[in-house]
Amino acid sequence: MPVTFDGIPGDLVEVELDRGAMSLQVDETLYPLEAVYAAAYVFIDRCYVFLDKPSEGRIRVTLSGKKAKLEGDLARETVGEFANELLSCAWRAQIARDSRATIESVTARALSGARGAPSLDELEAFDFSEEAFDDPLGIAMSWEEKYAKKKKEGAAPAEEPAKADGGAAK
Amino acid sequence: MIELRFHRALYAEKAVDEAVETFTRHASFERAAEPTHLVVRISGRDADREQRIAHELANFALGLTIKAGGAMSS
Repeated sequence: MPVTFDGIPGDLVEVELDRGAMSLQVDETLYPLEAVYAAAYVFIDRCYVFLDKPSEGRIRVTLSGKKAKLEGDLARETVGEFANELLSCAWRAQIARDSRATIESVTARALSGARGAPSLDELEAFDFSEEAFDDPLGIAMSWEEKYAKKKKEGAAPAEEPAKADGGAAK
Repeated sequence: MIELRFHRALYAEKAVDEAVETFTRHASFERAAEPTHLVVRISGRDADREQRIAHELANFALGLTIKAGGAMSS
């Protein structure tokens, strides 16, 4: 006996109360197959999930309860949760598609860095004349450079400690 | 007897085969291949058992398909 739910289009959801199962028809242009797979996988522990293709561009998801028959409030709750999960998975799939180029680029850089030390030939061919990056704060300064500067400044004027003492007495 | 029809665009053939192999001890299975579907006919001791095995087999085949990266991956 097919039944429809308020708030859910009747041509999308069909509930067969006598079998304790319900079918949800999904438009593949809105929800790609990978999103349907992901949502189905989330429900596989509490429902029996069966997928079918009733027509081109449509996927039918049939859910049957494992412990209790899907009817009444439980059926409505389950179909609502599945629809939400489907939307979430479709959005995640979209984000993954959009950021695929960035992920591939970062992975490629990480892998090229993990190749190990360069060979002598590669080092010979490397152009060391070019500055690696700007260092306006002097963070990349070596310890020797810093130490040499301080030594020079400390050794230069001999009168400086006296000046400092005079200032303190005032 | 229960007949399960797995659409080739949604289920990997390898996954269906593996699922059938896994449940062989619990019922007898008959396989058939159609252009768009993989058909599995299940015969068990009684109707309830057939139904339960059909459900579990379908879930198992779907899980294996998803783990393999989808029906088109193989």
